[in-house]
Amino acid sequence: MSVRERGRQVLERLVAASATERALISLASLVLAVAVGTVIILVAGRMTTCQGAAFVLTNPQPFGVPELFRMGFCYDPVTVFDRLFLGALGDPLTAGWDPLNGQFAVTLRETTVLVFTGLSVALAFRAGIFNIGTQGQMVVGALATALGVLWVAPFVSGVLATVLLVPFGLLLGAIFGGLYGAIPGALKAYADANEVITTIMLNFIATGTVLYLVGEVFKDPASPANQTVPLPDYALFPPVLFGDPFGFSLLALAFAVVSVLALYYLLERTTFGYDIRTSGIQPQAAEYGGVDAKRTIVASMSLSGALGGLGGAVYVLMILGNFQTGVPSYGFDGITVAILAGNNPLGVTFAAFLFGVLKSGTTVVQFATNVPPQLVGILRGLIILFVAMPEFFRLLGRRVVPPERGRSNTAAAATDGGHVVDGDRPHDSGGEQR
Amino acid sequence: MSPSAVELRDITKRFPGVVANDEVDLTVERGSVHALLGENGAGKTTLMNVLYGLYEPTSGTVVVDGQERVFDSPRDAIDAGVGMIHQHFMLVDPMTVTENITLGNEPRKFGGLSVDRERAREEVVELSERYGFDVDPDARVADVSVGVQQRVEILKALYRGADVLILDEPTAVLTPQEVDDLFAVLDELTEQGKTIIFITHKLGEAMTAADDITVLRDGENVGTVTAADTTREELAELMVGREVLLDVERPPTEFGETVLDVSDLAVTDDRGVRAVDGLSFSVREGEIFGIAGVDGNGQRELVEAVTGLHTPEAGTIRFEGEDVSDRSRRERIDAGLSYIPEDRQEQGLVMEYDLVENAILGSQHAPPYARNGRIDWDEAGEHAESVVSEYDVRPPDPRTEAESLSGGNQQKFVVGRELKRDPTLLVAAHPTRGVDVGSIEFIHERLLSLRSQGVAVLLVSSKLEEVQALSDRLAVIYEGEFVDTVDPDRTTEEELGLLMAGERPDDGTTPETAAADAGTDGGTRSGGGGTRSGGDEQ
Repeated sequence: MSVRERGRQVLERLVAASATERALISLASLVLAVAVGTVIILVAGRMTTCQGAAFVLTNPQPFGVPELFRMGFCYDPVTVFDRLFLGALGDPLTAGWDPLNGQFAVTLRETTVLVFTGLSVALAFRAGIFNIGTQGQMVVGALATALGVLWVAPFVSGVLATVLLVPFGLLLGAIFGGLYGAIPGALKAYADANEVITTIMLNFIATGTVLYLVGEVFKDPASPANQTVPLPDYALFPPVLFGDPFGFSLLALAFAVVSVLALYYLLERTTFGYDIRTSGIQPQAAEYGGVDAKRTIVASMSLSGALGGLGGAVYVLMILGNFQTGVPSYGFDGITVAILAGNNPLGVTFAAFLFGVLKSGTTVVQFATNVPPQLVGILRGLIILFVAMPEFFRLLGRRVVPPERGRSNTAAAATDGGHVVDGDRPHDSGGEQR
Repeated sequence: MSPSAVELRDITKRFPGVVANDEVDLTVERGSVHALLGENGAGKTTLMNVLYGLYEPTSGTVVVDGQERVFDSPRDAIDAGVGMIHQHFMLVDPMTVTENITLGNEPRKFGGLSVDRERAREEVVELSERYGFDVDPDARVADVSVGVQQRVEILKALYRGADVLILDEPTAVLTPQEVDDLFAVLDELTEQGKTIIFITHKLGEAMTAADDITVLRDGENVGTVTAADTTREELAELMVGREVLLDVERPPTEFGETVLDVSDLAVTDDRGVRAVDGLSFSVREGEIFGIAGVDGNGQRELVEAVTGLHTPEAGTIRFEGEDVSDRSRRERIDAGLSYIPEDRQEQGLVMEYDLVENAILGSQHAPPYARNGRIDWDEAGEHAESVVSEYDVRPPDPRTEAESLSGGNQQKFVVGRELKRDPTLLVAAHPTRGVDVGSIEFIHERLLSLRSQGVAVLLVSSKLEEVQALSDRLAVIYEGEFVDTVDPDRTTEEELGLLMAGERPDDGTTPETAAADAGTDGGTRSGGGGTRSGGDEQ
């Protein structure tokens, strides 16, 4: 069997994998990433010099077997991964674990924002649109939320203010993020502009504009940093159960979960969702079924932008308490979250949580060990790469080997008195023209 | 006695969940034309892909020229003298005929550094003369007709030293005249000792062109017969395993009001070329208006303009008297338009969806499947269930994904879905393309029963027998215009063939049959419909 055919078979297998298999593949990838990461940590630990090895490798010595060799390493892989994963959860395996601990709050905080950006990218993906612009939409939504709430906040106060202002802020974020997403949508639909390029450009425009506005127009005069004046406490997400200083609110997480479920419902149970999914999988069939392709592109990009904007609103109302320039790359992480989740809204929750763990765990590792932050960054990247790759190859594989059609149906398709689209017959073109 | 050109012994090819070929034996004598006949999904192409090295058989042996062979790739098959001409040509359009034929095997000069174009040309000329091919070696492939392109494909295989030529559905894209030419070419090839295997699901072709016919059914060889000693009925029976009615009965009906009225329609295709040029016609209740023609003469654009998928450049489309030219596809669906598209795998079905999801394609926005934007999946499930059972879709499980159905079953599902929508107008584009005999019969029956219910049907097909048998009036389209509108019952296949090739009746080839018939038969078939208007519609 040729290498080519082997590769094809692997892809076919991957494309045909069931949900359980995919989950198991992801888990196996995680284990593999940890294994490879361990090697990297050990190698890096040999290459640096340090006083006293953090980790010593020797042969097992039961019943007084003498020590045959001894090798010291500057970094201890066990500690690193222990801190990275368990540390991020606040050490759930030690006695007296309090689920309401601060580190877990940080993890969930990151998860919450990433759920929104992940959903944003995933929704666009489902419609067949590659929205790289979630970052920009998030930034625009965040600023709109901050400015709008600041503007309205003086008119209300008390508990009522929270009940009014938080939803108002979220709404503003969604609207402005949505409008900012609608731009590349309209450009794609009516001017045939590639959304990858327009959204990347719009990211720069958003960041630049916000930098100007916050630096020159809405700057907090009392602060040297580029930021707005703080929002009043009553306009922010109240921390529920978790303590105040972690910038996390269970309410916001609950809202994120509700959004996940709502999006799932939208995609699976509504006409609009059906239209989006069909457009994403088979645009021609969608048009055949009466879907207005242009409107669907604009609508799904608006919704995608609105979700990004919500991420921005939550970032302001839960984490920051004002608006600061230099918004972290939640929007770009959302792309990976979406890929990791196979663009399934429910999967986004888990993918965002993994991301949250890694983000929050990184700081724990840095506190607990002398491992340089760059190395931790490599480990994070490695884990994401490994876990995302199978999904990535699935996406790729669907193009190379359309599920089932690539084989048994080729036979059926080939005898169809004509009109099989080229893509349906990869075998033939591959073989003949080499 | 020299060994057979090809011998396949006990070839089994399994795909996950499917046995495409089940211990198939096939012996092809040297210098003969051997037809491989069978319904869709019978395993014909799979078997030939095994012979051509595209698939590795699960078990069994391939013997070429008396020698046992294992082909890892088409390259090995070509080296052993086996060439295959696919249904969809593998030609590079902007390159010349010579370049295409020699591609990958060009004669070299300067120690292999450069292509010896002159020698390549000479070799191609010599080769095409030897087999009596009328091919201009310097023409660009994009500029020559489909029939010539096919010959280029054959020459390409011959150039690579093929002794056994496999042709996959070679006639699917040809006009009747081109088909005759092709068969002449095949004769010439076999006379010079080449062996031809051609895949087809058309009985007539197998009878005409082949010496021997092997019939495959459900992946098994159900019999090899000599063409001279068999009948169409016998072959049909072998193919489907039961007797088939090859003729359709079109009972007389009354035509009612005009449902679809198209006037001066002009459509430009995606490349900006005018594909439909000033067509006018109308279809009445209870009438099947057929459009015959070789593929690519504007049928697709016409159909898409009527169904709302393509915005016409000029002209009006009226639906029950109302101008719908500016209406969206969805609005036209709501107005009672059903559409069986030409391409079920690209348009008619979402291949990754199961049949329940596919059952509401086109109706996903309207009751009973959707209310207030919310889809009622239970309702959709019941609908899918009823389409599957009424239209005998196999496997009868609405949870099957569309892509795992065979072509015929996919088509039956699409037809069922569209007909159950209770349309006032049905547009059917090649409704039986790539569908096996049993399903063809079934689909034809359904179309006729729709007609007797008073539905207006616009039928587009490149199959002559089909449009001829089903249509009440038949227009022949050529380069975006109607060459003629005829009475299908009074026109021969040969006449239609000429019309399809663009020869107008006033060119002298088919004398005034059409015009004369149009006048006389209005009374014979339709009481109310009155005057036929063959002449107006040119």
